[in-house]
Amino acid sequence: MRTFRVVHRTEYTYGTAMADGFTVARLLPRDTPLQTVRHATIDVSPIPDEWEESLDPFGNRVVHFAVHHPHFSLAVVSNLEVGLETGELPIGEVPWRTVAADAAGARGDTAAEVGPFLAYTEQTPALAALGELTDDVFTGDRGVIGSVQHLCHRIFNGFQFDASFSDVSTPLRSVLAERRGVCQDFAHVSCAALRSVGLPARYVSGYIETIPLPGEPKLVGVDASHAWCSVWAGELGWIDFDPTNNQMPPLRHVTLGWGRDYDDVAPVRGVVIGPPSGQSLHVSVDVAEIF
Amino acid sequence: MTAPTESYQYPSPRTGYDEALDAAGAVRPTWSIATHAVGSMEPAALHDRQRDADRLLDAEGAGHLVHELALERGTDRHGVSASARVESRPWRLDPLPFVIDAAEFAVLSNAAIQRMRLLEALLVDCAGERQLVRDGVLPAALLYSLPSFRAHTAGFAPPRWLVHYAVDVARVADGSWRVVHDLTDAPSGLGYSLLNRAVLARLLPDGLRAAGAAPINAHADRLRRALTASAPADRPSPRAVVLSSGPAHPTYVEHSYLATRLGFHLVEGADLVMREGRLWLRALDGLEPIDVVYRRLEDAMLDPLEHGHQGGGTGVPGLVWGARSGHVALANAYGSGLAEAAELRPYLGAVAERLLGDRLQLEQLAPQEVLATAPVFTGHGASALEPRAVVLRLQVVNGPDGHSVMLGGAGRVLAPGDAPEWPTAHLAKDVWVVGTTAPRPVAVMAPPQVDFGPSVPKRAADALYWLGRAAERAEVAVRAARVVGVQFDQDPMLTSVGDGAWALGVGALLAAARNEPVQAAPELPLNVRLAGSLQATISVAAQQLASLVQEASSVREYLSTTTGRVLGRLARAHGLLLDDDSPTDELDSVLVDLAALAGLAMESTVRGPAWRFLDLGRRIERSLAVLGSVESALGADVSSMALQPLAEAVLAANESLVAYRRRYRSDVDLDAVLDLLLRDDSNPRGLAFQLDRLREHVSALAWSQGVQLVHHASSAAIAEIDDTVVSGRRIAIDGYVLSVRGPLLELAQAIGQHWFADPVNPTMMGGH
Repeated sequence: MRTFRVVHRTEYTYGTAMADGFTVARLLPRDTPLQTVRHATIDVSPIPDEWEESLDPFGNRVVHFAVHHPHFSLAVVSNLEVGLETGELPIGEVPWRTVAADAAGARGDTAAEVGPFLAYTEQTPALAALGELTDDVFTGDRGVIGSVQHLCHRIFNGFQFDASFSDVSTPLRSVLAERRGVCQDFAHVSCAALRSVGLPARYVSGYIETIPLPGEPKLVGVDASHAWCSVWAGELGWIDFDPTNNQMPPLRHVTLGWGRDYDDVAPVRGVVIGPPSGQSLHVSVDVAEIF
Repeated sequence: MTAPTESYQYPSPRTGYDEALDAAGAVRPTWSIATHAVGSMEPAALHDRQRDADRLLDAEGAGHLVHELALERGTDRHGVSASARVESRPWRLDPLPFVIDAAEFAVLSNAAIQRMRLLEALLVDCAGERQLVRDGVLPAALLYSLPSFRAHTAGFAPPRWLVHYAVDVARVADGSWRVVHDLTDAPSGLGYSLLNRAVLARLLPDGLRAAGAAPINAHADRLRRALTASAPADRPSPRAVVLSSGPAHPTYVEHSYLATRLGFHLVEGADLVMREGRLWLRALDGLEPIDVVYRRLEDAMLDPLEHGHQGGGTGVPGLVWGARSGHVALANAYGSGLAEAAELRPYLGAVAERLLGDRLQLEQLAPQEVLATAPVFTGHGASALEPRAVVLRLQVVNGPDGHSVMLGGAGRVLAPGDAPEWPTAHLAKDVWVVGTTAPRPVAVMAPPQVDFGPSVPKRAADALYWLGRAAERAEVAVRAARVVGVQFDQDPMLTSVGDGAWALGVGALLAAARNEPVQAAPELPLNVRLAGSLQATISVAAQQLASLVQEASSVREYLSTTTGRVLGRLARAHGLLLDDDSPTDELDSVLVDLAALAGLAMESTVRGPAWRFLDLGRRIERSLAVLGSVESALGADVSSMALQPLAEAVLAANESLVAYRRRYRSDVDLDAVLDLLLRDDSNPRGLAFQLDRLREHVSALAWSQGVQLVHHASSAAIAEIDDTVVSGRRIAIDGYVLSVRGPLLELAQAIGQHWFADPVNPTMMGGH
């Protein structure tokens, strides 16, 4: 088992004093079959007047906190340490059609577990253009793992990583038309494409350790929040893949949580009450393997 | 007796179902009741009824109605020049009621209750066990794709999802009824129903009685009991508010009307704040706890912290979390909008069998089905009646008395081509349920609410203060225009008096009334300049009337019913002032209405903080107006020929001319004029009187800064004014005005900062 440490700092500066601030943070990781959370804390400055932790309906850890005294800035710093087992693809295959049929006909707990991840959402809508990605991938009696690998490869090769192109509000339609975007977009593309053929797909939020180019030192704070996708493969369970890095399974990925799309698992959502002001945001993420 | 229907040539469609005539052309008993109630069915009589209905609706609803006025709050309010335009949303009431037999209504009413129980059970299941999903009755892929499904609050188990439910039903061609759609999020229409009934009760009092139509008024009391009963268990005397997004909301009229009827504060998001798990109202005296929110806001507009929030900065951050933790009750619960989703309709039959073990009593309207018709007064054709489809909205409340359906309500008339769900026409019918044999409901007393008398939301105090100022400014402008116009009309030669000194003086007086500097336009003849100045002053008066009505519409629940009617007249006067070329009569009637408004404020308003802020606004504005008129028209040193009409104009503009003549019975003497206007504390139009009232208000509010500023103004106001003249100005007048006006302007600013500054809309923090 390998150990990773994550430090994620989010800092808002308001320019003038805010009377009240409310924040919902999904910054604490959950255990998964491959991930063991050893340590996870969130430090907030100023010290919040209210604090409540809970699980959301997808089992993710959520923290609600609020500041009710005048404050000019808000800093949220999470410190995480998780152990990761190296993922391996399951041995064996199931035809993707069988998985889709099982998902559609699921009853009981399976219906409750996988059903939500069949749904189109505002960020993962049903679009005809998805057919260009899936039509010759999900064919005949191909296996689900092989097909998804093909899809992952196709998105990796067919889309340009371009941080200047999109932000959290760029619609999937534009991403598909322009064939460019960032990890959140590629995760949305994957989810929508899989759901369009009837396969349940989760949007996974987390972090990835970036590897410096050969000969260059690793810089601190340059890592970022990351997102990828997880597909339900019937009896083979949920299988993660990262279309941004063409990895199936992912290798250096720390999972925070999952949902139908980004909105379900946005790391920080906040609202302040105070005079109109300019606000600035500074985010830094540092992921490192501990030996 | 009513004449046979044929004799008034109602063009009943001979196919399908019509509420007036059966297939054989015979008059149905319910239609006969409707025509008896209206009396004569002659077209001319119906025209009269419609006109009366329009007038009464205006009178009942006036002041709640947001008229089509440009919102010009002026640059001094909050330091911004806000100019938002709010469309008026008038609706008309058909003078002919929709009459339905009690036995038939009971069928609808049972079906509505069944549906409310079904939708409540559906919400409980979707947020909880999701047995419908597990059993394959409802596909998860569908449920989780609905924007109105709040997946994040799953596991949320409010004590009651639906306190208030409404359902639209319509009759189809074979005479049976169908459900058109459900309203579970923030059901509208109850306030409109009460308003419509209030109008028909005045229009056709004998008809209503003779028909034996069931009363609907008690339904609002049932709603109030249900709302207070939904409070968290540990609140012995729960406090509820009506939450609106403000006058721009399409159904704001009824938010305002219902708040008044229920006796709750009407609040907007910025009036509320969540702290330490409780919800608080920002009131003048600090934060007051709130237990129940009767939300008239759709749940997507409720809380910017929640996913799927659509209202930008509207709503109350943390409110949903507070409700989820059980510290505050939302009626209806957050997420209840799911139950009205059209996508769920095809599944409701199976859901009813699964959750209620029952079949749906009413079927859903299918797209191709033809609706039944009812005679509607349109004014067209020989009978002035035309057949139109009508959709009835049934109102249901679930509270401590169980489910109860309002016995009547509102029917919305579809224009040809309208979709039954979304009628474009704003024509309503009052629905009468006749032949009820059920005993009259026994009135049950609600648990007492905390006395809200002294509690005023900051935003309401702010609006009342500006209402007071706008009313006074409107009066100042109208009166100045009136006085100068009359002087000019009676003696056009006045412009040549004292080398134009009179004309320059009254021009300055008008500019002061407009709160503008004097515009020099020496190239134009004096009489032309004066005419332009009069016109400009009248448009300022019209603008002030618009602001007055705007401010009033956001605090309607503080104003009496009669005040509402006066506001309706002033709203109409606004249009007339802008249209009319020589509006002297109109100016007089505006002055009468403004006097009525001022009188009602004194006589029909409870003396609490709300009234004090209204009156503070008035008194400050009037003080400034007196000073402005003295400075502008009497500050210049002019000949006695010119001084005489100028001083009369100033006295008349301050409504003190009669008082002056009775007291002094002499030609105008400047010292006596100044004494009456500035220092005589028995003249209710004079400065000293205003300062006394201001002192009372700031003392009653126990506000030391205000007390100090009023004291400064009063000390300056007793100064003597001598007759020194420098460069053609009586500099003692200028000095006096300056030294009194300074602290008054400071007071006006301090009121805004000290009392109103706090509530602001929340801001979303940027995403990653």
